[in-house]
Amino acid sequence: MEKSDIKLKIPSADFYIEPTRAFIGNLAQSLGFSRKRVADIQLVLDEICSNAVHHGSVDATVGVKLRIRIDTDSLEILVRDTGSRQAEAKNWLTHERLSEIEANRSPCSERGHGIFIVKSLADTYEMQRNAAGGTDVRVVFGRLKPSDLKL
Amino acid sequence: MDSTKLMKLREESGIKILEIKTDLSSYAASDLRKVLEDLLAEKVERVVVNLSQVSHINSTAVGALVGVAKRLRQSGGDLKICALADNLTRTFNLIGASSVVEIYESENSALAAF
Repeated sequence: MEKSDIKLKIPSADFYIEPTRAFIGNLAQSLGFSRKRVADIQLVLDEICSNAVHHGSVDATVGVKLRIRIDTDSLEILVRDTGSRQAEAKNWLTHERLSEIEANRSPCSERGHGIFIVKSLADTYEMQRNAAGGTDVRVVFGRLKPSDLKL
Repeated sequence: MDSTKLMKLREESGIKILEIKTDLSSYAASDLRKVLEDLLAEKVERVVVNLSQVSHINSTAVGALVGVAKRLRQSGGDLKICALADNLTRTFNLIGASSVVEIYESENSALAAF
């Protein structure tokens, strides 16, 4: 299969994360990911989109953009928000703020597990500011090659 | 849509049983938090959350369960979880929440543990 992109834009609201999660699950399953890995991909997408909705959006109208790139050996998901325009606010996820959240994370914490999950489950994880003043989060999941299968 | 309609409460031997019939991504996780907060407000002390019909849970929902379990213990009660699918168990283990909240294979074993 040649490299191909699917682009989505969802309103910045929790309600739209669930159908998006269902979509990526169906896609990953169609691409041959194992059931366990499909669940991982769905969880990672949920956590990234949740952060984009809660920390990277002024309101529900601005939207969160997703680019899903299917390649022969990988599935890549890029989630782009436009930023909360509250760069000084406590809830804006800068690298420094994320480091602080991770340092304070414990099993007893009620919040702050999202990026830890993303980093743990994705094969590649990158986060950077985008030109719109928001955040781009890119994750990649490797696809098992037929030669890797133990028959 | 109100996902609290997919969260059924019943009672057995003085223990509230919350049966979740929806996957717990962000939207439903917020509703789960509200339902659990209502139980705290009603001074309920013992809760079992049955997740047998849940195939996905995110960190917000796990955090809500952990938070309410901690608060119930402060007042002598507890929240126990039961019937997790394998991927839910992995999420609890990854976060470390399985060391904070008691998890049981079945509803009966969770009820018996009180």
